[in-house]
Amino acid sequence: MRPAGVLRLALLALTAAFLLFPALFAPMLRPLAPPNMPVIYDRASLSSLALSHLALVAAAIIPSALLASALAILVTRPAGAEFLPLSRALVGFGQTFPPVAVLALAVPVVGFGTWPTLIALFLYGLLPIFENALAGLTGVSGAVRLAADGMGMTPGQKLRRVELPLALPLMIEGVRISAVIAVSTAAIGSTVAARSLGEVIIAGLNANNLSFVVQGGLLTAALALIVYEALGMVAEAARNRLGLPAEPASRPAG
Amino acid sequence: MIEFQSVSKLYDGLAAVDDVSLTLERGTLTAVVGTSGSGKSTLLRMVNRLVEPTSGRVLIDGADTASVPPAQLRRRIGYVIQDTGLFPHWSAARNIATVPELLGWPKAQIRARVRELMEVLQLDPDAIGPRRPHELSGGQAQRVGVARALAARPALLLMDEPFGALDPVIRGQAQADLRRVQRQLGTTVILVTHDMAEAIRLGDRIAVMREGRIEQFAAPAEIIAAPATPFVADLLGEGDRAFRLMSLRPAREIAEPGAAEGPMLPAGSSLAEALAEMIWTGRDRLPIAGPDGRAVGVVRRDAVIRAGRPEAGPE
Ligand SMILES: Nc1ncnc2c1ncn2[C@@H]1O[C@H](COP(=O)(O)OP(=O)(O)O)[C@@H](O)[C@H]1O
Ligand SMILES: [Mg+2]
Repeated sequence: MRPAGVLRLALLALTAAFLLFPALFAPMLRPLAPPNMPVIYDRASLSSLALSHLALVAAAIIPSALLASALAILVTRPAGAEFLPLSRALVGFGQTFPPVAVLALAVPVVGFGTWPTLIALFLYGLLPIFENALAGLTGVSGAVRLAADGMGMTPGQKLRRVELPLALPLMIEGVRISAVIAVSTAAIGSTVAARSLGEVIIAGLNANNLSFVVQGGLLTAALALIVYEALGMVAEAARNRLGLPAEPASRPAG
Repeated sequence: MIEFQSVSKLYDGLAAVDDVSLTLERGTLTAVVGTSGSGKSTLLRMVNRLVEPTSGRVLIDGADTASVPPAQLRRRIGYVIQDTGLFPHWSAARNIATVPELLGWPKAQIRARVRELMEVLQLDPDAIGPRRPHELSGGQAQRVGVARALAARPALLLMDEPFGALDPVIRGQAQADLRRVQRQLGTTVILVTHDMAEAIRLGDRIAVMREGRIEQFAAPAEIIAAPATPFVADLLGEGDRAFRLMSLRPAREIAEPGAAEGPMLPAGSSLAEALAEMIWTGRDRLPIAGPDGRAVGVVRRDAVIRAGRPEAGPE
């Protein structure tokens, strides 16, 4: 196995071990906790928090990906080209507004809990996915487009058979960027009572328990890395399935 | 039969194609030649409605193309472009199968057709079929592009600078293949090129375009012998005209009864080849072979040279 594969596996194993058997790591974290305070977060299991953390990310990024991709498809059709500036402004707005501000604004409207975080992650995720999908769709060469038309594909056939498959790897790269940002950002959601690993960090800050802060922070970082690696593999698989020569990772967006 | 009836295409008020009327006979190969930007591609794309005329009509076998839905029309017309435009995520075989798939042919029939075409175009179906376009050489990719255009047995084939990206040796081979396949299938071909030599070599007739208009529409020999305008003469390149003309006429046309010394001229040789052989071997009389490979007469140097003058041109 390649070194990268070994590292990935080690990361995964270590994270799983920490989530399932946190007591094993207690001796290492002991010095960070104040005397007579729990070393491992005990108000909820770390594994259930990690799961709801990931669920929060998925519940925000999937609709984000659907909307952003739909917008990218729309503005690359001849009839939708005029909506490009508007769409750009829309998703750009979602990106420039800091998630913390979105949380603050959303709470009075939808209350505490999951919703404010979902909204923040959803909005924040739009831009990278939109820009990557746009790059993928407009990156299909003029000759290939002309050939698709010339062979007698209808616009729908051209989209499904040619443009989307060719744009797919870049679209997945966009989702990858958004998902990784969302994993980190979801932790902040716990300030407005969303269930995520952020809860552990906040509890640690409140109780002056550095052990909680470190375990919450490390686990969030590990989740972000795992999501990054996993979606990287999906993008790679999509490229391989197309039989395209390997490409260096996505153009930066977001 | 393809008829262009006063066809024009304006872009921002400027004519890319300017009032073109042409009639192309069924089963012929028409070469459209002209400098870059003269409107050749635009003219070609108006046949399969990739470009809609601003005014005028294009008829195929008497039917107005504007009355056929574009996708349906295009599936009946083969289309080859310079950069091949092969779908990079599909194998060569799947690329060739594009139009039959769109037409909903049964799978077995598509497979058989793909094999057949690959063999006609000298592409090994088992070795080349599964390859992606980026794994093909320029010549192979070009032939896959032609196979894709021919897959659904179109009666009409549009080619836009199909050999432009090939090196000279492979281009010669590809041109010969096109001529062979076209004769064999009786396909009507419109071939766009900026290369007059290619137009002369391949065209039954040549349409010379300049600034959106047809300067001359005639058989190659006539274009060479009597260029209608200075522009046409320029495209021909004055110095080479005699050789161009001689390369068109078979030497057998001027053979006389008799015999001569030395190696025989092969049956299909042109006047130009006869003259080259005379210069190279220092002879002024050559025996010439008939279709069966046996000597049928002699070709004399002064007859060759006389036949190379325009007033002696055929027809
Ligand atoms: N879609 C288009 N929009 C605007 N101008 C065009 C378009 N297509 C072609 N033209 C113009 O029309 C003229 C003829 O183009 P084209 O038919 O491509 O020439 P050729 O194939 O002979 O090089 C050129 O001046 C070109 O710039
Ligand atoms: Mg052109």
